[in-house]
Amino acid sequence: MKRHCSALAPLVSASCLLLAGRAHAATGKDWGRPTDISLDGWRSDQLFNITTVSVTILFLIMCGIILWALAKHRAGSHAHYEHGIGRSHLLFTAVVSSIIFFGVDGTLLVNAFEDIHAAYWNYPTAAENPLTVEVMAQQWAWAIRYPGPDGKFNTADDIVTLNDLHVPVNKPVYIKLRSKDVIHSFYLPNFRVKRDAMPGTTTDMWFQATETGAAEIGCAQHCGVNHYKMRGVLTIQSQADYDTWYKAAVADARLRNDMSDKESQWGWDWESK
Amino acid sequence: MNALVDTGPAVVMPSHLPAAPHARKRERSAYLGMAIFLGTWTMMFAGLFFSYAVVRNDAPTWPPIGEPRLPIGLPALNTLLLLGSSATLAKGLKRLRTGRATAFPGWLAATIVLGVLFLALQIHVWLSVSEGGLHASTGIYGSVFYGLTCFHALHVIAGLVILGAIAVPAFAGRNLTARYNLVRLSAMFWHFVDVVWVVMFVTVYVL
Amino acid sequence: MSTHDEAHDSHGGGEHEEQHIHPEPTSFIRKYVFSTDHKVIAKQFIWLGLCWLAIGGTMAMMIRWQLANPGKPFPILGGLVFGASGGVVSPASYTSLFTMHGTIMIFFAITPIMIGGFGNFCIPLMIGARDMIFPLLNALSFWFMVLSSCVLVGSFFVPMGAAAAGWTNYPPLSVNIGTPGLGQTMWVLGIFLAGTSTIMGAINYITTVIRLRAPGMGYFKMPLTVWGLWLTAILNALFVPVLGSALILQFMDRVLGTHFFVAGAFVKGGGDPLLYQHLFWIFGHPEVYILILPAWGVISDLIPFFARKPAYGYKLSVFAMSMVCVLSALVYGHHMFTTSMSPLLGQGFMVLTMIISVPAEILFLNWLHTMWHGAIRTPPPMMFALGVVFVFGLGGLTGLYLATISTDLYLHDTYFVVGHFHLTMAAAVFLGSFASIYFWFPKMFGRQMNMGLAKLHFWLSFIPINVVFCIMLAVGLGGMQRRLYDPSVYTTFQSLQSLNVWISRFAYLLFFGQVFFVYNFVYSIFRGEKASENPWEVGTLEWTIPSPPPHHNYDKIPLVVTGPHEFNNPAVLKATGRDWIAQDVPIPGDLPAESQSA
Repeated sequence: MKRHCSALAPLVSASCLLLAGRAHAATGKDWGRPTDISLDGWRSDQLFNITTVSVTILFLIMCGIILWALAKHRAGSHAHYEHGIGRSHLLFTAVVSSIIFFGVDGTLLVNAFEDIHAAYWNYPTAAENPLTVEVMAQQWAWAIRYPGPDGKFNTADDIVTLNDLHVPVNKPVYIKLRSKDVIHSFYLPNFRVKRDAMPGTTTDMWFQATETGAAEIGCAQHCGVNHYKMRGVLTIQSQADYDTWYKAAVADARLRNDMSDKESQWGWDWESK
Repeated sequence: MNALVDTGPAVVMPSHLPAAPHARKRERSAYLGMAIFLGTWTMMFAGLFFSYAVVRNDAPTWPPIGEPRLPIGLPALNTLLLLGSSATLAKGLKRLRTGRATAFPGWLAATIVLGVLFLALQIHVWLSVSEGGLHASTGIYGSVFYGLTCFHALHVIAGLVILGAIAVPAFAGRNLTARYNLVRLSAMFWHFVDVVWVVMFVTVYVL
Repeated sequence: MSTHDEAHDSHGGGEHEEQHIHPEPTSFIRKYVFSTDHKVIAKQFIWLGLCWLAIGGTMAMMIRWQLANPGKPFPILGGLVFGASGGVVSPASYTSLFTMHGTIMIFFAITPIMIGGFGNFCIPLMIGARDMIFPLLNALSFWFMVLSSCVLVGSFFVPMGAAAAGWTNYPPLSVNIGTPGLGQTMWVLGIFLAGTSTIMGAINYITTVIRLRAPGMGYFKMPLTVWGLWLTAILNALFVPVLGSALILQFMDRVLGTHFFVAGAFVKGGGDPLLYQHLFWIFGHPEVYILILPAWGVISDLIPFFARKPAYGYKLSVFAMSMVCVLSALVYGHHMFTTSMSPLLGQGFMVLTMIISVPAEILFLNWLHTMWHGAIRTPPPMMFALGVVFVFGLGGLTGLYLATISTDLYLHDTYFVVGHFHLTMAAAVFLGSFASIYFWFPKMFGRQMNMGLAKLHFWLSFIPINVVFCIMLAVGLGGMQRRLYDPSVYTTFQSLQSLNVWISRFAYLLFFGQVFFVYNFVYSIFRGEKASENPWEVGTLEWTIPSPPPHHNYDKIPLVVTGPHEFNNPAVLKATGRDWIAQDVPIPGDLPAESQSA
């Protein structure tokens, strides 16, 4: 887990590890966060922790100054008559702001840039053979489509489910999202990621699970009266279990898919935007 | 005259401008206020033009397949009419400022007539385009066309109402030299409507 | 009349326009109803804002009740408001509740109180003017707000009820696909009218500050309250119209069937729902600065006032506030990181958002430095001012998590965001509003509020506010989305339910704690102890005239020679024995007034 940090790195990392370790031990649940079962979720969590340590330090300093001033410089003490516009004053302000900006903001920026390029917007290429899935969000369910053995969407062997996404563990899953009606947002709390499903365009998202089990899919963009019920289930299986499910689903699909029902053929050619 | 700006007691002076420094300062404040108002309205139209740019950029072709191109002849004439109306209004204002107030009503009338002609032609364009099958609800192309031009037309109407309010005392024979500032503020609005039209003409019809 | 030659004004750069003394109106209607006196209009705005604050707060209680007690009827008002669902908040009502809560608080509570109210009251008085430059426009601004309020109230009573697409109102949910119904259209109209009111006010404030500053009051002798309000007005003038354009397009989509925000099929050119988000947030992000700048300005004055020290780095604070304004429209994309917006654009917005934190930091440094080595008094206005520093510090720092894309992808649209914006916007402005009310009440009404009750009010506000919104940050970290009618649908968030219950309990405490303010406010207007001309012993111009001021404010327009925070100036101490001096009194030993420059 390589991280780029500024000069504050040693202090920040040490505090970070210390606090994170103690918190994890105390709550057993990582500060109330849902269990992270993703390949890249650690990026979000660790950057969150770094930010927390930094802002806590800054906040405590600010509170300290206020409390000290209230205690020591109260009514009756001798107030300094200064306007704070001298050169040394400006320099002081510039130095402190710079330390905060380059120290804290800089660290966050550098790490975020890496996260974006290495993970979040680094979609799996065809060579990595991701599982490709199309999701059509609608009021109020997630319609999910697999391409089936022919590898093409909107064909007779497509597996189409409602709110039920099966993926194999340790394999990249590339999702393209569209919406039939209003804006929705495909949200995987256990993967620390979400992406909006916008009508009229296609959005992309990818993830990779590191543990088997079940996770929830939520909708994270207000989409109407039943927004709160727009829940799906993500089932992560071993390759063997996944294959079993897949075979059965394909067989079922061949029986169920009615190619003459245009409404049900909502899939699209994977390459189109 | 009813006004949003209280320019103080009407001072009837022989010269074209009120001599009292206080009233001159009031004029400048009113001018500043009007400029800011037109600034806010510019931002609103900027939002609309930005929207047009975005949806046009999104579209694979423009006009979208199946939509006819908009006419350009009548809108071009309309542009000339509106530019002309700004010119006549500016001329009338100049007359007012240089002490020849009796010439003002004529120029004001010309401005109003040109403005009304603009509206009439615009309605004609809408009707003919609508007959051709383009409606506000047929798609984004219609949305942009009708949305922008109708909204602009509302402002032309507002401008004509303001000019009409000035025309009443002007044609009744009142000397409006003393109310020069108010007329100037109204003219600013009219010129603004004109400028917006030019931008709209170029972006909606020509490009 | 002005005693200075208009062309050559050596006192404070630029021309100064002086207003005549108009006779005071005599009829009840002209005095209290259709008044053009900025002081009356200010009070009208404050009353309107406080009424809406109560309504918006009640809605918050309903939201919190539902989250803490899903499926249970809302006490007392439940049967009346949610009759169709047996007194229980229904999913449909819930969507209207959070929509209208946000709308009301932003446009109908904060804006009228701080901008309409204190903007109107403070600007002319603090710059030494007799009224706003366009008094009739000022009155119109208030009555447009009333008209807008009527439209909004009306929207509750139409079939299908009030707006329900969130205060952010994203299409296509907010066009006919998602929310058919007159109520949603009335919302669009109501906000447009409110925006018009705001723009009228902005034109007035901007022009007034430019043209009516008293002789000698250069821009850098203005109190920081005026700076905050002036910059707010500039932002309002620039960006409320952009919201106007979004509303116009949405109105057209709803009523004329246009397709600006309705996405077409994938082959034909259609509208773009994302366009709305661009327009909305180009307004929306400056809007949050519009909401906070008045409070920033006020506390930038209150802290020097009560620390009895000049404002540290006055010019730098002005520069910082101005920089925030300039950058405000350039950071808006941080609300859209999870959309189809390009990642490159997203990264640009991330960098700019980080940069905008720098001027805010500078403001903080200056506040802290002002307090340091002061002689700090802590009456209730100062307590509230420090409360603002605390909650805005906390809230602002939580913004860092949301500015960073990696963490925002998780936290976007969760309660973390709700906690963040309530701390920075609601909590800070809420406390800032009370700081302003307690501070200027003596000048407004000529009476003092009860300071004991004020202190109680402070603690009953400050502590619950922090508990409520900090726990919300924790709930957001736990991943719970916002705008959820019933979070128990998700097993992932069930462990957070106890946190939700505690948020609600402290929210009720916050709500009921306000009763001490309401009682104090109303009682003191009629029965409060009479206030002196300058109970706080500060030097800005409004404290040099009686409390309440006469209709025309200043018998004689003051000649400003001193800055607004000349506290503990050794020359003043020596000559007068006081630690403050009014802005129109020369500092003893200084050169005579005529040769002072701005």
